[in-house]
Amino acid sequence: RGCSRSTRVLFHEYSIKAAILIQRWYRRYVAHLEMRRRYTWNIFQSIEYAGEQDQLQLSSFFSFMLDNFTHMNGNGPGNKYLISHLLDSVVDPLTEEVRQLKYEQIVVPESYCGPRLSFPLSVTDTNALLSAFKEEQTLHGKYVLQLLYETKKFLKQMPNIIYLSTSYAKEITICGDLHGRLDDLLLIFYKNGLPSAENPYIFNGDFVDRGKKSTEIIIILFAFLLLYPDHMHLNRGNHEDHIMNLRYGFTREVMQKYKTHGREMLQLLQDVFSLLPLATVIDNKVLIVHGGISDKIDLDFLSTVERHKMLLKYVLFHMVIICLIQVVDILWSDPKNQSGCSPNSFRGGGCYFGPDVTQALLQKHGLCLLIRSHECKQEGYELCHNGQVITIFSASNYYEEGSNRGAYVKLGPELVPRFFQYQVSRSTRKLTLHQRVCVAEGSALRALKEKLYAHRSDLMAAFQQYDIDNTGRISTSEWAQVVESVLRLDLPWRTLRPRLARLGADGNVEYESCFEDISPGEPIPPVTPNLAETLYRYRTDLEIIFNIIDKDHSGQISIEEFRQTWKLFSSHLGVAVNDQTIDDMARSIDFNKDGSIDFNEFLEAFRVVHKLVIKEQQQG
Amino acid sequence: MAPKKKEEPKPAPAPKPPEPEPPKEPEFNPAEVKDAFQLFDRTPTNEMKITYAQCGDLIRALGQNPTNAEVMHVLGKPKAEEMQVKMLDFEQFLPIHQHICKAKDRGTFEDFVEGLRVFDKEGNGTVMGAELRHVLATLGEKMKEDEVEQLMAGQEDANGCINYEAFVKHIMAG
Repeated sequence: RGCSRSTRVLFHEYSIKAAILIQRWYRRYVAHLEMRRRYTWNIFQSIEYAGEQDQLQLSSFFSFMLDNFTHMNGNGPGNKYLISHLLDSVVDPLTEEVRQLKYEQIVVPESYCGPRLSFPLSVTDTNALLSAFKEEQTLHGKYVLQLLYETKKFLKQMPNIIYLSTSYAKEITICGDLHGRLDDLLLIFYKNGLPSAENPYIFNGDFVDRGKKSTEIIIILFAFLLLYPDHMHLNRGNHEDHIMNLRYGFTREVMQKYKTHGREMLQLLQDVFSLLPLATVIDNKVLIVHGGISDKIDLDFLSTVERHKMLLKYVLFHMVIICLIQVVDILWSDPKNQSGCSPNSFRGGGCYFGPDVTQALLQKHGLCLLIRSHECKQEGYELCHNGQVITIFSASNYYEEGSNRGAYVKLGPELVPRFFQYQVSRSTRKLTLHQRVCVAEGSALRALKEKLYAHRSDLMAAFQQYDIDNTGRISTSEWAQVVESVLRLDLPWRTLRPRLARLGADGNVEYESCFEDISPGEPIPPVTPNLAETLYRYRTDLEIIFNIIDKDHSGQISIEEFRQTWKLFSSHLGVAVNDQTIDDMARSIDFNKDGSIDFNEFLEAFRVVHKLVIKEQQQG
Repeated sequence: MAPKKKEEPKPAPAPKPPEPEPPKEPEFNPAEVKDAFQLFDRTPTNEMKITYAQCGDLIRALGQNPTNAEVMHVLGKPKAEEMQVKMLDFEQFLPIHQHICKAKDRGTFEDFVEGLRVFDKEGNGTVMGAELRHVLATLGEKMKEDEVEQLMAGQEDANGCINYEAFVKHIMAG
């Protein structure tokens, strides 16, 4: 076992070479992982924005209906019923006093061991709520109704724009979108303390939808709002709106958690949301709104509008007056890097506003900073427009476990923003970076494949235009071009190609392979592939429309209503489906022949599955 | 560092496990490179520019595995303070990437395994995790502690040993 010097030197040399080799490979591995992480992010964001673009479809569908209902298929009375059914808002038969009494009289069973609120609220109540929600308890419907009712009363006296000051060297904490992520809210409170006179907060909209604990979030936020009216402030977001809630999950959550009182809660919530202030201004220098601004915004004018009438419904039905456009801009706009102000077609409302628009507005009102939310950012926050705009986003892991951090910002009297980041990690701590990237990437790619499937006919038609000799293959460039133009998603398609489609022996893309892995499950009625695709693509819109028709949210609509809705929808889209097919479909779905359809099952049938799972059809 | 007993001739290679897919040979399609370039472009106005510091990462993301020294060389040996400041646009990046692609000594699965085998004291297909960490952080183009941590996460068995062929496959597949 001699250790001669030269052996040691030689070994040292080998070691260095070996180390360098390993390090090279490792760096390549990390860079590749980073690239996957980035395109995964792009995928999620593109799909999210494209989904909101569908909202535009829905709104134009409503205006189409409004303009054309008298011309529909001559079924005068039937159609009129449908339209008015959709249009009319439920008139509240109860007066305020009667309503308040009614809630007081709701009996809470002895067996209920959750928090029992008493108004006016105290710190005991908010503490009880926080403890209860940490233990996954549900607040009894009675207290939710009372809370919403009190919140509505309170918000009625609030102005559209709230002016605050950082007096007494207090720092104000501003949080962005929460989207039903209770864990993030609890983490913020843990890190930054609960709201109080010494610890004021502003929550900048989008408290609900997407996440599963939207109800808990608004209960907590409203409770603190009532408890500390001068130190707790809520701005309205674009998701504080009943049509968005129908689409993005809040309505469903409420109905599932509160079967008895859910409907009434949703009614109250509609009022509460419409009464949320639109903006907050700190020290006359910092403007805080949920979405952004546009070149039409005038804060003085905005102070005067009747904000509780700004329901999305009015915008959809084109009863647009100048002030309404301003409200939409505040809730929906996004900053962009180029100058100017252009319509935000991806969102379906609002603008893209450039640094010049920001500069102009800030100057006009003597402000120095705009804080907004509305867009998910990987680090939880982002500055743009030369530091004049801050985006703050507080829902970590928004797209997927590990996708992004959340953040909040604190402002003291010197108005210098301090950022604090965090990330909820139930399981991320146990996962390595590699595993997290794989999970997120898998999720993104699945979502992308569903999109490919939903547009299969259009894609195939376009592919075949390039494939003149019918070989089943086209070049990577051609494939990328087709996919980009049909799906209209701005993604690095060439980089993604290996994850989506196969190459043939000649190095060209076998384009049909991008539909593999996805097949529809056994649909309940046999339908042509085209119809299945269309239904899949528009299922969210259909869901919203069905939900509107199904006013009591029971999950049942009549066959006649179904038929009429489908006809309206498909004529609007220009999809040629004949009446017989629809009728057959409608009849075959009605299993128990009682004249009504559980449309959730129907939609479920067309849900795309990744593995070929053949569902056994249980006949009830 | 205990040296090996004597200079060993290359041990007969163990029965080779199925070789992992070789890194994608880029047929040098500028369009593909452009996609990746765009992903790395962090300029607020999407100017299609990356910093010198990102250059190495981008080249690696595209499938090459140059050493840091090679990257600095091909960038013209910039000073440390220039790395975050100087920018490259796409046209400037392409020839740099091409140059690296042409480099012959890219290293295969076997080379990589060989590199690790240097630290296999007992010649049994495993290396001590602790030793590897030490080496990677102190020799060659040193890695930072958290980088080493990321690399080794989940790779060591209960005795702190790493089966390096599996390890190599893991890295090459990533």
